Amino acid sequence: MFSEIFRFELAYRLKRPATYLYALILFLFTFLFVIYGSGPASEKTNVNSPYAISQFVVVMTIFGMLVASAVMGVPVYRDIEHNTKNYFFSFPITERGYILGRYFGSFVVLLGIMAVGMLGIVIGSLLGPVFNLADNTERFGPIRFRDYAYPFLLFVLPNMFLVGSIFFALVAFSQQVFTTYAGSILLFIAYLLGTTLSQDLENKHLVNLLDPFGSFAYDNATKYWSPVEQNTLVPPLEGDLLTNRLIWLGVALLVFLLTVFRFSFARFLAVKLGKKAKGEASTEKAPSLASLPTPTPVFQVSTYIGQMVKQARIEFSNIIRDPYFIAILLGAVLFLFLDGWFGVQTYGTPSLPTTYTMLEARNGTFFFFVLIVIIFYTGEVVHRDKVVHYDTIADALPVPDWMNYGAKLLAMTYICLLLCTLIIVSGVLDQTVKGYFNYEFPLYFRDAYGIAFTQYFQLVMLAFFVHTMVNQKFVGHIATLATYIVIWAVPQFAEFSYKLALPFSGGGVQLSDMNGFGHYLSSLASFRVYWYAFGGILLVLALWFWNRGADTGFKSRWQLARQRMGKLSIALVALLVLAFVSMGAWIYTNVSVKNRYYSADEQREQQADYEKKYHKYANVLQPKITSVKLAVDVFPDEFKAVATGQFSIVNKGDQPIDSLHLTISPDNFHRKLTKFTIDGQAPKLILNDTDFGYYIYKLPKPMNPGDTARMEMDVTGQYTGFPNSGDQREVVSNGTFFNVGIFPGFGYNVDGELSSDKYRKKYGLPVKEWTVPAQNDPRGLRDFLFTDDADWVTFEGTISTTPDQTAIMPGELLKTWTANGPNGKPRKYFQYKLPSFSDYFFSMCSAKYAVKRDSWTGPDGKKVALEIYHHPGHDRNLDRFMASMKASLSYYTKNYAPYPYPVLRVLEFPRYAAFAQSFPTTVPYSEEFGWVGDFRDADKTDYAYYVTAHEVAHQWWGHQIMPSRTRGANQISETMAEYSALMVLKERYGVDAMPKFLKYSLDRYLGGRAFEDKFEANMLDNDTRSYVWYQKGSMLMYALQDYIGEARVNQAMNDYMKAARFRQEAPFTTSLEWYSFLKAATPDSLKPWLADNFEKLTLYDNRITKAEAKPIGKDQYRIKLNVRSATEYYDKSGKEISKGKGPVLVDIAVLTSDSKNKDGLTIKVPLYMKKHSLTPGEHVIEVTVKGKPVKAGIDPYNKLIDRVADDNLVNVDMP
Amino acid sequence: MQLEIKDLTKTYSNGVRALKGVSLTIPQGMFGLLGPNGAGKSSLMRTIATLQEADGGSARLTGLPEGDLDILTQKDAVRRLLGYLPQEFGVYPRVTAEAMLDHIATLKGIANSKERKEIVQGLLQKVNLYEVRKKNLGTYSGGMKQRFGIAQALIGSPRLIIVDEPTAGLDPAERNRFHNLLSEIGENTIVILSTHIVEDVTNLCSDMAIICLGEVVATGNPNDLVTQLNGKVWQKSVEKSEIDTYRQTHQIISTQLKGGKTRLHAYSEVPLDGFTPVTPDLEDVYFTKITEKMGVMSV
Repeated sequence: MFSEIFRFELAYRLKRPATYLYALILFLFTFLFVIYGSGPASEKTNVNSPYAISQFVVVMTIFGMLVASAVMGVPVYRDIEHNTKNYFFSFPITERGYILGRYFGSFVVLLGIMAVGMLGIVIGSLLGPVFNLADNTERFGPIRFRDYAYPFLLFVLPNMFLVGSIFFALVAFSQQVFTTYAGSILLFIAYLLGTTLSQDLENKHLVNLLDPFGSFAYDNATKYWSPVEQNTLVPPLEGDLLTNRLIWLGVALLVFLLTVFRFSFARFLAVKLGKKAKGEASTEKAPSLASLPTPTPVFQVSTYIGQMVKQARIEFSNIIRDPYFIAILLGAVLFLFLDGWFGVQTYGTPSLPTTYTMLEARNGTFFFFVLIVIIFYTGEVVHRDKVVHYDTIADALPVPDWMNYGAKLLAMTYICLLLCTLIIVSGVLDQTVKGYFNYEFPLYFRDAYGIAFTQYFQLVMLAFFVHTMVNQKFVGHIATLATYIVIWAVPQFAEFSYKLALPFSGGGVQLSDMNGFGHYLSSLASFRVYWYAFGGILLVLALWFWNRGADTGFKSRWQLARQRMGKLSIALVALLVLAFVSMGAWIYTNVSVKNRYYSADEQREQQADYEKKYHKYANVLQPKITSVKLAVDVFPDEFKAVATGQFSIVNKGDQPIDSLHLTISPDNFHRKLTKFTIDGQAPKLILNDTDFGYYIYKLPKPMNPGDTARMEMDVTGQYTGFPNSGDQREVVSNGTFFNVGIFPGFGYNVDGELSSDKYRKKYGLPVKEWTVPAQNDPRGLRDFLFTDDADWVTFEGTISTTPDQTAIMPGELLKTWTANGPNGKPRKYFQYKLPSFSDYFFSMCSAKYAVKRDSWTGPDGKKVALEIYHHPGHDRNLDRFMASMKASLSYYTKNYAPYPYPVLRVLEFPRYAAFAQSFPTTVPYSEEFGWVGDFRDADKTDYAYYVTAHEVAHQWWGHQIMPSRTRGANQISETMAEYSALMVLKERYGVDAMPKFLKYSLDRYLGGRAFEDKFEANMLDNDTRSYVWYQKGSMLMYALQDYIGEARVNQAMNDYMKAARFRQEAPFTTSLEWYSFLKAATPDSLKPWLADNFEKLTLYDNRITKAEAKPIGKDQYRIKLNVRSATEYYDKSGKEISKGKGPVLVDIAVLTSDSKNKDGLTIKVPLYMKKHSLTPGEHVIEVTVKGKPVKAGIDPYNKLIDRVADDNLVNVDMP
Repeated sequence: MQLEIKDLTKTYSNGVRALKGVSLTIPQGMFGLLGPNGAGKSSLMRTIATLQEADGGSARLTGLPEGDLDILTQKDAVRRLLGYLPQEFGVYPRVTAEAMLDHIATLKGIANSKERKEIVQGLLQKVNLYEVRKKNLGTYSGGMKQRFGIAQALIGSPRLIIVDEPTAGLDPAERNRFHNLLSEIGENTIVILSTHIVEDVTNLCSDMAIICLGEVVATGNPNDLVTQLNGKVWQKSVEKSEIDTYRQTHQIISTQLKGGKTRLHAYSEVPLDGFTPVTPDLEDVYFTKITEKMGVMSV
């Protein structure tokens, strides 16, 4: 019985074209990803590494859910749909045989489809090296059966069993195929919810278990794997991954068994009793036909318009009463709300629910729902008359074609407006629930109805066109989907980004409180007009081919179209074509004439050519600037800056200099050197390469070693028109921020080189291991790390701007005045001066600022003015910035060296970039970074305080101690700034606030090394890896001060400051010099630890397996801890090379329940906390504590770099 | 006013030749169009109802006060006169009958909402749907839906009414009611009634045509057509097994089961041995014409 039905099901499935279509789609999905090498890993990981294969497979099962809903939802529904159930069940078959046969027949096909998807990876890996589309043939590893079998058993089988059983059961019990859609949306929501929740590290376990696909558990089990491990390992079946698989396999089994045992034919056959209308004979006498009024019908355009509006209303209400639509809409709103709710998080701390955050939620998962609504409901609307067979009536009614057509388009317009309204409703709801009442309705309306609506409607035009032309609902859905994919996904693969040729692209806007819609509107409007002209043409074409009448053959549609091509519509098309072409020309002028456009490939080729052509000048001796006097005019409304500079330059080398090499990168800021003199004379231009922005000038007379000269440069920079993409952020209407780099730099720019080895190989360049020379290289030692144009300089300057703005440069403000500028309009001038040396790094900012002022007095009685320049309204967290500035100044002055300047200021710039940067005396700080942080929850990291402390620390580390341009030197700047900030944070919030922060550092360090594209470098050599200088650095320095004492570390750094601060002469300081002070401060017992961590690549694997307590008297407990300690050494590729044998000093702790400190911060309360020296291996430790033990562990605060941080604490077992 | 159709041809994209040069002149009054399934009736109806293009020929409304109309090109003008009940049609399931009729009335150009209401209410009563006018159309049974279709076709006093298989799915009482309704339609209206139920035509039509395989095989007044057969139709009851023998020797126009035996109708100019004469009816006309075209029919 079973086998008959099973075989029938299998044969039926194998005859369906859809089966092959699904398989083909999955195959193409994996095949294209693999052959293009667009895998989820670094350059050192094989495209087809077991890690990547498992990733592909997990994602494939998530998409496979849609396939599963189609395959597993219909086998029993088929008997309902075709009404075969009424006789089919009268055959001598058993319920169980029927169910199992149908189930397994379909399930085998489903697994087959998924297997074909996996075959795409195999074929992709085989053809990858042949076609070389991944830009590197070496990145395809061997094809091993295990790499495929393992994820098939671990993910494909259980996931398909789960979703298949659920869909099958839903239809078997509800008899509605709709429930499978609802079911797949719900499962997808569960997965996406995981994505949202997983942003917070604290939710990790929860998400690992809740995700029905095991995707997060897999990610978390493998995310710290180094490239070598990714290439060889499959995830071990343990921990959360195992639990997750067991849980969901259990759920699947439960659903399956329930279906098998509860299914009955009787219930399945039961007729659903709905309300049926009964037409009873009327007792009333009907009027005679002749007695009915015979009005003269009105046929005018105004009538038609009225009809159209009415018809649109009917269409609209038909859509919004559709239960599928309501379900999709609910999903959409849920995500809109959640994305708005979680908003932007920094170090796990939420930001205020500003209106722009709410609006940006629409770019999240919501957009996916918008696409679904637009594709499917445009189809519904376009084909509705035909599907319900109302067309035979409607098409013969005396209305023009455009009436019905327009009504349907209008109905979709209403749908778009509805979607846009949801954005506002959800945003306002979010804000209200969060107690934030600054609703910016004008912003809401402008963005939702001005930008979102016009975006959605463009998609409607396209969908409307495709659906109309195809003229069949289901084919239309697929064709529309395919069109979208061709338009958007394919260019992504091919890295094609020229928006003029990407239908319905363009119009990205980044909102900012400071700068509103900024300069994006002209680009947005141009692209919208351009694509609306195009969309208009499509709509007229669609109207011509709009199917009216019974005949759907091409011939008659063409006949009909010919009749419809009246003068009016042809004129309209001509007009639209004209608009399209002229707008296209306008955009082309902006993007490719006024600005430059390079494709990603051209960009890389350009970089490679630059290196090939000019690398030979990398070590040409150039003079150093020693004094700087600037006059800068900012024209915010013209996106223009004019800067004139007077510089003293000195030949500090031992050779004469006969020519100056200037680089002005040819970007869209269009910088031009309008005046250039040396000692009043214009040097002769002997190389003028505007393509690469490389210029060589012959000096009027050579500069001999020690010679000085006066250099004058006038520069203008201006944004003109709009580019293809990019934010043009440096000079904007409100919130200008650029730096002294507006002036040309001296010599070849190493940073302009292509760094990716993958592409270097492609363009025939040698692999680039390091970007800066070794610590003993004399040429590296003679330059500062951040610029080779100058060592220490003196600085003064004037900056002017429009009268409503404040312009700021580093230094003390000497004077302000108003005068007429070069354009005859009044301008405000600000004169600044730095009283002592600084490095050559000056910011230039201008915006409408509000200011908060305070001051801080140093131990020597010197007063430092503190200033915060902020956007009016961004005043919530000013006290945190101010307090952090004061605490930082106090701590650093006390422990390192005096602060050399009379002023310290923080200022805000628009959120087009998200960073803070420390210039002498002045710290520009992105709008996104702290100003709108929501720090009300004391348990969330006060990163405003932390980042301010970090940036202020750079006033010492990076401005007083200036690292040389050698390997590892950036650790002196960044690691020390991190350490300093940690100490200031610790002082403010106590030692208990630190673990949470360190956990982020650990996560990012381990994640960073997993995605390393070259190799990992140690603390003393690292030249480019931010995860080393920030995250590893902060971990190590924190541990060091914990192990040897904060005072000792600070004393060492104080000594280092004394030795290296404002060092005037090369050789400048290196990581080795810095390290020598740390080493000197470290006792011999800890020197091996120091060497392991700073000189080698070392990870620890500490874990506690068990903790048992027994009470031994009044509130006293004896606790036995089973712990394990291990030290692992890695080579730079990420391969484990050996295990440590020596003992490691590590915290052993017993904790009682968490408590809150005075700030309301949750803190751990140790009953016992002591360092033990443990040799590698298992240890049993017994300690006695007073108070009730709750948790116990080894290195509970994760001070050591532990591969698995979560197994360091366990709950204490009490007898 | 009359409808003149000349040499109308239509071949579908799948190669089916639905109309092979149909020529008809349809005067005012009730015109019956008879033909077996697949004869081309619906194709012809759809072409006249402006829903389908023709490959060749012409279809014109002449004698209109506003001048002649070419149906194939002046579709908008034709639609203004048209009331059409398609053979197969659907409705928006989530709209009430009343709202839908009101909407269709709007689309037929009846702008005054009071008049519209009166017409809609009146028609709902005429088709006996008044009681259920507030129900969604999705809940209607087949017969109710058909009545709804009739009502919508009559909105706006159309002067050209095309009803394609209107009585399909109606019970006998409703069918009567429909016939009465049709008979109420004004004199100066062309009503084309397409059907394969001969009785409908007998009861209602003053003119008719029979089409078969895309061609007109007979046209005229039903009585005249019947009269032409007078004395030429013969009948005999035979055993089922004998039918084939008779087929070979006689021009059998129809066979019909009656009380366990099969009754044959044969066409002959002269009396037939063993057969008795019958008074011909329209059904005999129909079968005669059809069998001439495509062989024997069994009913």
